Amino acid sequence: MSPTESVSLVLLLAGCGFYLAGTIGLLRFPDVYCRLHALAKADNTGLFLICVGLAVLSADWQVAAILALVWMIGLLAATVSAHLIARHAHGAGREPVRPRPDR
Amino acid sequence: MTGLALDLLIIASLIGLAIQAINGASLFRGIIHFVVLGLAMSLAWARLDAPDLAMAEAAIGAGVTGALMMIAYRRLIEIRPDHDNATRTPRSRLALPIALASGVLVGVIGLAAIQAEPLPGQAGIAVLETLESTGLGNPVTGVLLLFRGFDTLLEITVLLAALLSAQAVTRQDDLDRSLTTEDPDTPLIGALLAIVVPLTVLISVHLLKAGSQETGGAFQAGAVLAACGVLLALTGRLASSRDYSPLLNGGLLVGLVSFILIGLAPLLYGQPLMALPGVWAVYFIESAMMISIALTLVLLFAGAASLKRRSRG
Repeated sequence: MSPTESVSLVLLLAGCGFYLAGTIGLLRFPDVYCRLHALAKADNTGLFLICVGLAVLSADWQVAAILALVWMIGLLAATVSAHLIARHAHGAGREPVRPRPDR
Repeated sequence: MTGLALDLLIIASLIGLAIQAINGASLFRGIIHFVVLGLAMSLAWARLDAPDLAMAEAAIGAGVTGALMMIAYRRLIEIRPDHDNATRTPRSRLALPIALASGVLVGVIGLAAIQAEPLPGQAGIAVLETLESTGLGNPVTGVLLLFRGFDTLLEITVLLAALLSAQAVTRQDDLDRSLTTEDPDTPLIGALLAIVVPLTVLISVHLLKAGSQETGGAFQAGAVLAACGVLLALTGRLASSRDYSPLLNGGLLVGLVSFILIGLAPLLYGQPLMALPGVWAVYFIESAMMISIALTLVLLFAGAASLKRRSRG
C-alpha cells in the first residue's frame, strides 16, 4: 500500500468513526437539541474527513475542488436544516433536558 | 470481493427498507423508509453502471416523490389528525402468498436473464453502433429522443395528465392555504436561498448540456430545477394561486408542444415521423422538456393551479 493510500485509508476510517458517533448520538441522546448537536457536528466532520480522504486518493485538483464543493453544500444544508428543526422545537415549547442540580 | 460484499449489503438494505416502507409502525415512518429506499435504489443503479438511472432515481424517486408524499401526509394529518394513531388495518390473508409468488417470479426472471445467451442483433448493440452517426455521445439520450422518441413523448404526456388530474381534484380553498406552517423569515433562509438557488440552476443547466454526451438529461435536470422550486415554495417565496398566468401555462406545455411540432416536421419533407433533424433538435426538445418537467413537478407539489410570488410584508 502506497503512502497516499494509507493516509487516505486513515482519513476515511476516521470519517466513518465520526459518522458512527453521530448516529449513536442521534439514537441515544435525550432531547432534540442534543440529537441535532450530534448530527450537525459529528456528521459534518465525518463528511469533511471522507472528502479529504477521497481527494488524497484521487490526487487530482479538479476532483478535490468538487469534493470541497460537496462538503460546503453539505455543511450549508445541515446547518440550515438543524437550525430550522431546533427553531421549530423551541417554538413548540420543547424544553431542553437539563442535568439535575443534585448530581 | 469488496464489490460482492457491497452488492450484498445494498440488496439486503433494499429488501429490509422495502419491508419497513410498507410494514412500518406508522405512515410517517413508511414515507421516510420509502425515501431511504429510493437512495439505496440509486446506489444499486450506480453499481449496475447506470449513472443516468441512478441520478433520476435519486432526484425523482427519492427527492421529488418524497417531497410529494410528505406534503400529502401533512394534508392528511390536517384532515384527519387521529389518522396516524388509528389502529392499523389487519393484513390481508393474501399478502403472504402474493409476496412469495412475486419473489419467485422475480427470481425466475432474474435467473433466466443471467443464463440467457445475448442474441445477435439486439436493439442495444444496434443503438451503440448507430450512435456515432447521430452526433450524440450518451446512448441513454439517444434512446430517449432518437430511437424511442415515442415513449418519451408519451411520458411527457403522462406527466401533464397527472398534473391535470391533480388540479381536477384540488379543492379551491386548498389553494389559499400557505405551503409553510410557520413564519419562514429566519435570516438563515435568505442566505441559504442566495447560494442554493443559483447553484441549482447551474447544476440543472449543466445536467441538460451534459446529457447529450455523458450522464444527464432533461428528466434529471428538470427534477433538480423542481427541487429548487419546492425549496422556494417551502420557504414561502412562492405561494399557490388561482390565477392562471399565460407564461406558466406556456412553460407547462412547451416541452410537449415542441416535441410534437419538431416530431411532425419531418413529414413535410417526406421523412418518417419523429425523425429528428439533428442534434440541435435534441438540445431544443430537452431544454423545453426540462422547463415543463420542472414546472409540472413543482405545481404537483404545491397542489396548485398556479404559483405566484408571495407578497412580502
